[in-house]
Amino acid sequence: MSQQEDKKLVLEVKNVSAGYRDGGFAGHGGTYHEVLHDVSFNVRHGEILGLVGESGTGKSTLARVILGLLKPEQGEVIHYTPRPQIIFQDPYSSLNPTYSAWWSVEEPLRIFGKYDEKERKRRVGDMLRKVELPEECYEAKPEELSGGQRQRVSIAAALIRRPRFIIADEPVSALDVTIQAQILKLLRSLRDELDLSYLFISHDLNVVYQLCDRVLVMKAGRIVEQGTIEEVYNHPKEDYTKRLLEASK
Amino acid sequence: MMKYVLKRIGMLVVTMLLVSFLTFLAFELISGDPARSMLGTNAPSYQVDALRHELGLDQPFFLRYFKWLTGFFSGDLGISYSYRQPVWDLIGSKLMITILLSLISFALIVIISIPMGIFSYQWGGGPFEWIRTSFNQLCMAIPPFFTGILLSYVFGILFRVFSPGDFPDLYEEPGAAFLHLFFGAICLSIPRIAMTTRMMRSTIVSEMNKAYVRTAISRGNDRRSVLVTHVLKNSLTSVVSFLGQTMAEILAATIVVEQVLGIPGLGRFLVLSIAQRDYPVVQAIVVILAFWVVLAGTLADLINQSIDPRLRLGGDLA
Repeated sequence: MSQQEDKKLVLEVKNVSAGYRDGGFAGHGGTYHEVLHDVSFNVRHGEILGLVGESGTGKSTLARVILGLLKPEQGEVIHYTPRPQIIFQDPYSSLNPTYSAWWSVEEPLRIFGKYDEKERKRRVGDMLRKVELPEECYEAKPEELSGGQRQRVSIAAALIRRPRFIIADEPVSALDVTIQAQILKLLRSLRDELDLSYLFISHDLNVVYQLCDRVLVMKAGRIVEQGTIEEVYNHPKEDYTKRLLEASK
Repeated sequence: MMKYVLKRIGMLVVTMLLVSFLTFLAFELISGDPARSMLGTNAPSYQVDALRHELGLDQPFFLRYFKWLTGFFSGDLGISYSYRQPVWDLIGSKLMITILLSLISFALIVIISIPMGIFSYQWGGGPFEWIRTSFNQLCMAIPPFFTGILLSYVFGILFRVFSPGDFPDLYEEPGAAFLHLFFGAICLSIPRIAMTTRMMRSTIVSEMNKAYVRTAISRGNDRRSVLVTHVLKNSLTSVVSFLGQTMAEILAATIVVEQVLGIPGLGRFLVLSIAQRDYPVVQAIVVILAFWVVLAGTLADLINQSIDPRLRLGGDLA
């Protein structure tokens, strides 16, 4: 245990509570609905941490808080790596339909503005090879790509500025099973090659079992159980975890 | 791309053939005999029959349609019943005026409402939102004839900037003619500027809620660059289609505005010719106006598919 704790952290989430307001006027007043209650966990360097739970338990809200898109009411989020990035669930709608694959992957570098055109070209070409997108797809618009190809483009765009920590929000849920396996394999090999750490959000316990090192189980905005995959899957402590595992068999 | 253009042009030709046939058929079905109305109710029937023969009205329907259609392609639009002159000589200069009027209106709409839509998105909301919304609704509700009367009074009678009812010759005094048309264009465009602005704004709002915008923000875009690089391009397609339809509405509204401001365009002549049962004139005008409308729609589609290739594939944009 102490060995694991010695490992460098990439993310620390401390006692975070967060939620949404509805009603009210211009963002003030209204009723506060708390979604996350006192959530704490760490992501360690080089690991793939799974986050499982039924839909509506606050997994995506947690992702928004970690990325700074939603301010927590209480607690804090500490990033130990610069430029965390996210891969979204639906590759069909998360790419701008009017731009090519190459354009979407190059965009973060253009915004960053530090590289000239030649260097951008080198980096984009390099990254598209890493995610194994066929060369004939480079100039294709999202409409002309398959779901798996689109997700490869999204992954490349997320990785192009070399982040060290990635949130993957249900990245394979919209894909069919054989494509799922390919993308999971890609995510794992990219982790090794580019020295990444992931927070992998999923409602699919089988996918988490295939990919992750550790897992958090979330229920109604609280983390009810966490541990290594073996601990949680073989010796679940909580009834909720047992029921989830039972349901996924 | 080329294939799509050809397909679209093919559709245009088929539409025009249908329009021309329906126009011709409509006047066939309308009761009343042009020869009789030209000669008056007291004319002896042998004279009416002679005139019918002279005008070719005693020939079978399809033969007359075919002759008219082939004439149309060779630039011969027939002879006006009332004026006994070639139709083209009567409507050529009027067509020019109406097309100029609708083009100026259209340019005003595009130049003003697209930036206004973007501005009202960027700086909309806030406590004064209701002022903007009510002003927009007011502008939408102003009928062109009313603006026409108002402008005639203020700029025609009080300030004498132009003389309503006395349209200067387009070739001799192009400046004055243009100014006169400009006032007409203001009447035509105010309600449509309001509509297009609102349309532009609501399209931007709905695009802003799409998933690709969320991705764009997470990849480092700020609000402004999301709007400029991502959302505007996707918003333009629906605005371009809307503008294509607007062209048809402008054309319909020119008829009234030409009456109010005394602009000698096609619209005014059309109303007159219908009253006189001058079928060759009416048919020619209807077909030319229809062509203009269909052409605007086709251009809008072609522009759209060059913006967004999904339209070329015939897929829906849901």
